[in-house]
Amino acid sequence: MRFSTFLSFISPSLGLLLGLLLAPLLITFYLSTQHCNLDMQEVVVKEQTPFGVQETKTIKAKIGSDGKALTICAPPSLSHYAKLLDTERLGKAISSGNWRDIQAMEFWGAMEFTLFYVIVTTPFVLALGLLLALCVNASVERLKSFWIAASLLPFVITPVVGALAIKWLFKDNGLIPYLLTFINVNIFWMAEAWSARLLIVLYGVWHVVPFAFIVLYAGLQSLPSEAVEAAHLDGANRWQILRYVTIPHLMPLIAFITLIHVMDAYRVFEPVAVLTQGTFTKSVQYLTYHVLMNEDNPSKASAAAVLTIVGISVLLIPLLRKTWKEYQPT
Amino acid sequence: MIRARSLSWLAYVVLTIWVVLASLPVVWTAIISVRQYVDAFSIPIKWVAPFTLEHYSALWIDRGFYRNFFNTVIVTVGTVTISLTVGCLAGYALSRYKGRIGFWMLMIALIFRCLPHSTLLPAFFTIFDSLGVRNTTLTLIFVLVAINQPFTIWMLRAFFANIPQELDEAALVDGCTRLQAFRRIIIPIMWPGVITTGLFSFLLAYNDFLLSSALTNTDQATMPAAIANAITAESEALLMQGIAGAVSITIPIIILVVIFQKYLVSGLTQGAVKG
Repeated sequence: MRFSTFLSFISPSLGLLLGLLLAPLLITFYLSTQHCNLDMQEVVVKEQTPFGVQETKTIKAKIGSDGKALTICAPPSLSHYAKLLDTERLGKAISSGNWRDIQAMEFWGAMEFTLFYVIVTTPFVLALGLLLALCVNASVERLKSFWIAASLLPFVITPVVGALAIKWLFKDNGLIPYLLTFINVNIFWMAEAWSARLLIVLYGVWHVVPFAFIVLYAGLQSLPSEAVEAAHLDGANRWQILRYVTIPHLMPLIAFITLIHVMDAYRVFEPVAVLTQGTFTKSVQYLTYHVLMNEDNPSKASAAAVLTIVGISVLLIPLLRKTWKEYQPT
Repeated sequence: MIRARSLSWLAYVVLTIWVVLASLPVVWTAIISVRQYVDAFSIPIKWVAPFTLEHYSALWIDRGFYRNFFNTVIVTVGTVTISLTVGCLAGYALSRYKGRIGFWMLMIALIFRCLPHSTLLPAFFTIFDSLGVRNTTLTLIFVLVAINQPFTIWMLRAFFANIPQELDEAALVDGCTRLQAFRRIIIPIMWPGVITTGLFSFLLAYNDFLLSSALTNTDQATMPAAIANAITAESEALLMQGIAGAVSITIPIIILVVIFQKYLVSGLTQGAVKG
């Protein structure tokens, strides 16, 4: 294909990528250096009340001639970053080994929870995915497509709906707390840090296991049966076959699932927004959203966004290296 | 293998437990959506309770959820159509062009594929406010198409790469232009790939909550954005309507899984097998 033809075919897609992804990223960086506040002034409001005219003082934004609120801007600087990173406090928290103090910091607390979520969910997703793949593989042919169809639901369901459904299941007076009373367990799931975190991890595992399962199940279909039989004849038991034949065969897929899951888990948002609204469990993506929507501070949100992107870039390196090796034109 | 059979009952136990756990949140939500609040959340739990569709009618008719449904239809149809059109052109070109730039574009797309969406929001607010196009369905469609593009072009490129080059070369020799060869020869045999990619584009647009809730307000909101107020619902009526809404959003997805299971599975495994 000629270069000019190539260019005309990809131009709409490239335009979208540059205009709606790359340009906003550059603007985000620009915004993160801005320090603009509404230009406030004290105004006296006169109100006619039954007891005569009453004057109250309030603070209002100055309105410009175009009807929009005026802002005052300080010179651009990186101080939003300095505040979010707060290296001094972080250094103190690390040197004194005070983990709670890190969790209490706005950005590092969010990063701590995000990495916690990534690290805790990954092994469960892989192990349960593998278990289900092996089970479906051992199932009779007729039922296989039923198991797969039933498993797809948690993966394709609208995340906000899935998280809400789990929230209602675990709500006080809901089904799960009721069932747990039979084994004398009384937990107010949203009220404590460990249980709130556990709930989000549960959601994450529930949501992603089907993906791992289906990919690994597809991998099992290409497992050479001669290798399994040979190992069997050599006296290998079931566990040894799994350990030395099946898992090595699935290793590329396990690596693939891990890379994809780490990327997606780093972006965890819906369960945080739905299950806890950030209490004990602020994730980095939720932090940006929260600062922007609730604190209404686009510059600080942009700084948090840039730091979030720096974090994902570090996690991306293995995925990029893998893709680089596979696809680099020779 | 006799020994394998001796343990297979365990596989069925594991799978049954998993299917129960996988469907429990949705099934239980569906059950309590047709109950009164006092029956939905009661101690002890009621396994059987009077049936009512009150919350559905309150949601769909009184609160006008049908408008959110139409917004979702517009947003998903728009996103899927534009994503596939733009993505097919790019995916085809990337599968046929052998130069370095194609490789770099794929790498950049991969980076964008991993971008947390909220990092784009401050800039989106600034851009769309200054253009006066925030809170329109069309803006949301273009944002979702852009977010979707990296994934779409990777997936379609892999499908196009499976179609032998000789086909387009023959068409070119016969006097077709590239665009004609693409439209008349390649696309007609690409349907499985187009359907699979379309399904995933649909799911992304249909399931999106973060961008939809931030970029639209009440009258333009899609269904997932509209039930956001159920998250912190204090009143019993609002909570029950949220539950009815959650079920309403899930029904089309269940239909989709039943009809397109094969395509969904092939799409999930495709990325793994071919990268």
